[in-house]
Order: sequence, then C-alpha cells, then structure tokens
Amino acid sequence: MTVAGLLPIAIGGAVAITGMYLLRMRRRQVVVPFAALWEQVTRESESRKLWRRLRRLLSWLVQIVVLLLICVTLGDPRPDVWLREPVTLAIVVDRSASMSGTTDAGGTRLDDARVRAQQEVAALGPADQAVIIAAGEEVGVVAARSGDTTALSAALATIEASHGEADLARALALAEHVVADAVGPRILVLTDGALDDGGMVALARCTASVIPCQVVAVAGGTENIAITAFAARRYPNARDKVEVLAEVKNLGDLPVVVELDVEADGVSVGRRRMELLPGQSRREALADLEAARARFVAHLREVEDPIAGFSTALGPGFDDVAYAVVPPLSPLAVTVVTDGTDLFLEAALLTQGDHVELTGVTPEQAQAGHDALREADVVVFDVADGALPQTLPEAHVLVFDPWRTANSPCPIAKRGDLKRPFLTEQLREHPVLGHVVLKDVNIARGTTFALEPGDQALVRTLGEPIVVLRERGEHGLVAVGFDPRQSDFPLRVAFPVFVDNVLRYFEQREPGFVASIALGGSRELSLADLGVTADGVTRVEVRSPDGTLREQPVEEGRVRVRALLPGFYEFRPLGGGAEAGTAELAVNQTGSAASDLHSRLADADPAIFAGEAPGAAPVAQGPLWTAILLLAAAIVVLEWATYHRRITV
Amino acid sequence: MALRQRAAANGADDDTLFDEAFLAKLELLQVIARRLFRGRQRAERKTRKIGSGLEFADHREYSPGDDIRYIDWTAWVRLRQRLIRLYEEDEDLPIRIVVDVSDSMTTRGRRKLRYARQVAAALAYVGLASLDRVGLSCVSGRTFETLPAVRGKGRIFKVFEFLRTVAPGGPTDLRHGLSRVAAQSTQPGLTIVISDFYDMQAFEGLNLLRFRRHDPVAIQVIDPIEADPRSTGLRGDVMVVDCEGDTRREVTVTARTLDAFAQAHERFCATLESNCRSRGIHYVRANIDVPFDDLVLRMFRMGGILL
Repeated sequence: MTVAGLLPIAIGGAVAITGMYLLRMRRRQVVVPFAALWEQVTRESESRKLWRRLRRLLSWLVQIVVLLLICVTLGDPRPDVWLREPVTLAIVVDRSASMSGTTDAGGTRLDDARVRAQQEVAALGPADQAVIIAAGEEVGVVAARSGDTTALSAALATIEASHGEADLARALALAEHVVADAVGPRILVLTDGALDDGGMVALARCTASVIPCQVVAVAGGTENIAITAFAARRYPNARDKVEVLAEVKNLGDLPVVVELDVEADGVSVGRRRMELLPGQSRREALADLEAARARFVAHLREVEDPIAGFSTALGPGFDDVAYAVVPPLSPLAVTVVTDGTDLFLEAALLTQGDHVELTGVTPEQAQAGHDALREADVVVFDVADGALPQTLPEAHVLVFDPWRTANSPCPIAKRGDLKRPFLTEQLREHPVLGHVVLKDVNIARGTTFALEPGDQALVRTLGEPIVVLRERGEHGLVAVGFDPRQSDFPLRVAFPVFVDNVLRYFEQREPGFVASIALGGSRELSLADLGVTADGVTRVEVRSPDGTLREQPVEEGRVRVRALLPGFYEFRPLGGGAEAGTAELAVNQTGSAASDLHSRLADADPAIFAGEAPGAAPVAQGPLWTAILLLAAAIVVLEWATYHRRITV
Repeated sequence: MALRQRAAANGADDDTLFDEAFLAKLELLQVIARRLFRGRQRAERKTRKIGSGLEFADHREYSPGDDIRYIDWTAWVRLRQRLIRLYEEDEDLPIRIVVDVSDSMTTRGRRKLRYARQVAAALAYVGLASLDRVGLSCVSGRTFETLPAVRGKGRIFKVFEFLRTVAPGGPTDLRHGLSRVAAQSTQPGLTIVISDFYDMQAFEGLNLLRFRRHDPVAIQVIDPIEADPRSTGLRGDVMVVDCEGDTRREVTVTARTLDAFAQAHERFCATLESNCRSRGIHYVRANIDVPFDDLVLRMFRMGGILL
C-alpha cells in the first residue's frame, strides 16, 4: 500500500486508540463509607502522581507504536535488494599458505578475505543464495548453497589458511558447476594473487567465461624468506653417513639476514647464518652426518645480532620449517648366474661390499628355476657357453652375450653377428656409462641388437647398437652384445665401474628412495617406494604429524595418501604378516612458488576485479513483517496483561 | 440500576430482620441475663438526681421559695446558717438506644445497619424484660426519629416496628444527633450509641452526653471488609467516592495503599477507644461477622453496662 493509502488507516487507528485510551482512563468508582481515611492514606503518594500520569501516557504511546508497526507492515516496504533479480553467488576463498601473510592492519590476508566474504553474505537478499568454496591443496565446499546468512557466516569463520598452494582450477570448476544452472550466477574469487601457473590460468579462464567471475584481491606484506628445498641422502659409498642439503630463498624485497638451524632427532647438528639479497637463494650442505639419526628438521630463525640495512623478519611461518628423513638402508639382492669362470666379474661385484647381497647360481640351477632368481633385485647372466633359462626372471637383468646361442630368452632381438667389433660410440651422459671409457676395447666377437622404440643404445659399433638398455615397466634390462671373456674389457678400469654403474642405476630404479614429497591432496604412493614390502599388505595405518591415525587400503602395493600438513608421516603396514617395521615420509611445502607472497594480479585486466564491498541488506530475511506483527502482538499482550493485573498501574 | 436492585434487596432484608430465629435468640438472651443478674431488683440503680429520696446527699443554702420542711434546724442552731438538706431521689434508670442510620451504615448491603438494628433490638428486649424504660432514637445528618421510652416486655414489637420502619440515609452527624438526644431526654440515663463512628466529630457527641450526665456506651460496628480491604482484590486506578457526600478522590490502589489504609483504620478505631476509655465511656467494638447475640453476651459479661 502507498503512504496515501496508509495515512487514513493510521489516523483512524490513532483516533480509535486515543478514544479507547481515554475511555480506559475513566476510573472505576468505588463507594466507601469514610473517604477521610482514604485521603489520609493517599496524601502520602501525591508526589508520585506525575510519574503515574507519565506511565499512563507511555501506555498510550505503546499502543500508537503498535499501530504504526502494523501500518508499516501493511505498507510492505521492501529494500532494493529484495526487488532485484535473485543472485546465486559462489564465493571462492583462497586458503593457500600465502593467505596467512600479515597485512598492514595486523591481521592476515585470509582475515581480509573473510571480512569481504562476510560483507558479500550480508548483502544477500532474501531470494539470493551463496555457496562458499575453500581452495587449498584440497578443494572443499565450506557452506552448501543456501540463503541462510547465519550459516554462511558461521561457515566462513571456520576457514583457515592451509599449507601449500590453492588448487584454483578445481575450485573454480566446482564453483562454475554449482552456479551454472542457478538463477543469476556469479563467482567471486577472494585471493591474494600469489598463485601458481595453474591458478593463473584457471583464473583467466574463469574471468573470461560466460558466468560473471570477479576477483577481490587482498593485499599484504610481501616480505618472506623460505626454505625452498631440504633433503637428506646417504653417501653412495658410505651408507652410514648422510648429507643434508637445504636451500633458503629470500622472496621479499628487502635484504635479510637469517639463521638456518638443522636438527636431527631434536638435536641441533648445524647452524648457518645467511645474508640474502632480494630474490637470492643459497644452498647449504651439512656433510658427514650420522645416518643413525633418521629425522632432520630445518628451521629458519631470526638472528640475535642483526645487521644494519638487513631485515630480520621471516614472514609467514609456514615455510620456515622443513623436514627430511634419511632413506632406508636396504641391501640390493644380486644373483649372478655364471659358470664360475669369470673371476673379473665376481671381483667387480664383490667390491660392492655389504650394500650388495650377492648370490651365485650356476646356469643349470638357473634353468631349474632357482629361488634366488625370483628374490633377486638384479640378476647378472654371464653363462659363457652355458644356456640361459627359458625366460628371464622378473628383475633387473644384466646379461652378457645373450645371443651366443640361437635360442635366447633375451627380449632384445639380435641384429647380426660381428667379428672383432670396435666400440665406436657410447652414450656418455647416461648414468650407466658414467666414468666409463670403452675406447680401444678389443673384442673377439659380438652381436648387435635390433632396437625397438624406447630402447637406448648405450654403446654402438659403427652405428650398430651393441650395448642396449631396455626399460619396460618396473624392470630394466641391459644387454651387452659380447662376452667379457672374449675381450679385454675386464682388464680395464672401466669394467668394475660399468658393473657398479649398472647396479646403481638399477638400484635407483628400485623403491626406497622416495623419502620426501610435497604437500598435496590425495596422491598414490607405492609401498615399495617407501621401503616397505608390499607382499600381502592389505591396509596401511598412516599417522599424520598431528597424531591422527588413518587406515588406508592397499591395492597392488599402492596406497593413496593425503598429505596436507608438513611434517613426518609414519606408515605401518597391516595384514599379510608384514607388520614388521614402519616407513617414514617427510612432507614439505611445494617450493618457492608457494612461498612467494607477491601478487601476480598486478598486471591483470582491471575489469576482472570486483569493486567496493556492497552494503549490507537492510533486512536479511523475508518474513520481516511476520516478525513485526508478532512483536506488535507481543507488546499488546504484555501491555494488556500488565495493566489488567495491576502491575503497571 | 444496581443501586435500585440493592435497595429492593434491602427491603426484603428488612422483612427478615426480626424473624422467628431472631426472637428465639432474644428469649435465650433474656434467660441468660436473668441467670447472670439474679437477685437484683428494679430501681437498684440510682440516678444522681437530688430530690425527695430518703438518703441524705448534701446541703445547700436556703433560698426563698424552698420548702421550709427541708431546713436543717440543727445546723442553724449550731452555725446560724440556713441550710437546706438535700436527699438522693431513687428513680429507675432509663435506657436510650441510639442507632446511627447514616449512609455509611448502609454500604455493602446495609450489613452494618442490619447488625446495629439487631443489637439495638436485643438490648431493648433485655431492658424491657428487666422492666426498664427503654427509648430508641435513629439519627443521621438527615434523620432523627425517636421512639419514646416504653416499659414492659410486650412493647418489644413496637421497638421492632420502629427499627424496621425508620428510613436510613443522610450523612453521619453524631454530634448533632446525640445533642438532640440529650436535649430531649428529660432524665439522663444509660445511652447506648450504636454506630460505625465514621465521623470525625463523633466523640464530641459522646462527650456531650457525658456532660449531660448520661452514662454513654459506644458500640462501634465495623465491617471487617471495610476495615481491611486487602482481601477484596481491589487494585488499580479508582475513584473513591464517599457514600455520604461529594467527596471524591482519585486513588491508585496498590497493595501498599491497602496496607496503609488498614493501618489507618486501625489507628482511627484505637483513637476512638482510647478517647472513650479516658473519659469513662464504655466502648465496645462490634465486628459484624460476630453474631449479635454473642456481642450482647459479651457486654453482659463485661458488667457495669447493662443490668
């Protein structure tokens, strides 16, 4: 109704109320036999007469207020936010690690984003809906699509900065999917702009899509210094010793002096003071550390004696600590199938020391299917005139002169026979041939191989491959097209180096070297990569750095892991009698990109940015007038009850 | 309309005022009175009138016109003064019962007035039964009806008729009413005033009787609801109207107000009682919830008032 229509109602109602009020104010007459006594009594309360009159006036005012409320209700005034077309808003909140960076106001970037999101929620009209999506390493819907601003606000308060990058691609895809079929779709991305390449691409694609997509960039300080790499490894030739490498980078705009402290199992094993210019990174290696200490933690700490002109601020703390575990020490099982006539080969293998468990098998035993062949990590065939087994074992294989006989199980086909071949070309950069010089090796006879796609010819003789590496699946095969006994290769220094290189190459293909991974959502890991025997293991109990335990199923020796917190994760196999032993895994930040607090949106098109925050809707929910009417009714009932029970008079 | 209905109800109430049950109670009262005062004879109570009795009372100087038979010649011989001998005159004591019929007695269905009439009738019956002369007066600021003194038990129905037919109404004016009673009484005697005494000058009327050598007795009839209205549930803004005049007062009745009123009423009654006792006036407070015969018996037991 219009004001003109409401005015007569208001006036009429006011007149009626006033009339009834005056009628009500007429006092009841009480006839008493002796009024003089009443005069004595009431003379004392004369001073409160004015207040009583005011109180009665208040009663009239209450009635008038109620009337006005009803008139307002009849008028049904609605704010503009109620009249416009409904909006379905998807709020994507970047909760990457960089959002924990501080702002000039003293809060965090996420706090600013949260405030803006609250403003957007507060501006929702009664027909509007919003969904809140948090984008971290994992993407989650914090609040489902709803118009309940209270629930949305409460959900916003639960968002916290995570570790790692924001998976904006998935978050925006989810947001588009949620609002695509809704009325008035709109996507609002709240981010600091410190995104990786994938995030930038996703953002560009979103802002260019049909669905309106805008960005609210929250700003903050960019000073940050981070540990961008941290790893520990055993020395190849001294496996009881480890070496730790740490890389620290100044990602801010000011020179920084900082102290790197490396702890092993809680004991500090090394400190380095670093002075880093903007953008500068430095690697520090701690050598000859005892491998008995399995866990290494690197901390960045503020120096106690700063230098003039250098900042000591570390920035957000999420990247000031890094973790590493020492790779487990597992011997390599090597089985040598030989007739015992190649002492040079045996000598070369024996130089591997305790790191290699060496087992000797005769060609006859090999043909009979000796157990050592099935259990070996690497099998070396050097059978000379003997016969190879019908099939090669499921292991890494180094085979010498596999095509001496016509029936060979070697999967690399023979190309041709050669007499007195010369080794003319070798793939020097390949690890198998590292420090190996095959020049002028004299060979009595040999065979060349026919390559297939994926094969690598490590050594050639006049262009024909004579030493070939084939890698299929989990195993590799190195086929040498001549017998060492029919050459002077064993007499050369290169021979034991070659053998060592082959074993080390195969060893590095073997599991047990995955000791550190980057933060991330669900990912698949091989138990073998963690140094755990997967035979019969059906489940793995994973203990997170925060102490939570979770059992994960194991399928074909692989398990899915959610590593959302940096730190040490413990894996304990369950089932299959493989409970013995646990494996550890270090999880760290993804790298310098995640720690860089600089916004990459500085050069973005200004059109993609949302403007100022909208004003809050004057009335959040629809049934306002019901509430007003209930309020009016409550006032009337209260006033009536108090008056007629002589409480207010 | 409500007042008319109430008046009609009061008329019917007057018809049952002195019914058979009432008369039976009166008979019982008389029997009890006889037992209590057995042995006493009529005219044992003496008036203070100086007259022609046998018992010497006093001397006074002779003045011309006095009967010379009463000159005390012995005193003349001794003192050479002409003195007249005075004697107390023996005379039966008249009883006058004054009933307040003002408007204040008619509130709340005339309960106080009905009670006052019943008490007056009972006292009159006892007096008549004792062969005393009993007169009645109904007074108010507008009404003054008198039943001349009668003697004999058979006159009780005249008393009933008088009490039944007197029209109540008018403001309370005991001072004026009692002064008229005193003026009309040729012989002072026991004057019983039955009223609620809701009159600031009521005590002056009693005192006036005392000055006229009456022996006044004040019976204050009180309606407990009027004395303490806390149980009535009366609350809120009301206009208090005096039933006897135009006095109106806006009052906001609260629990505290009612407490104060009850206390003020109690103080008023206590003041009246105190004034009466300080001047030798018998005072009896009569709660109308107490049966009238119980009240009369209580007065008997008090002694000195009746018989």
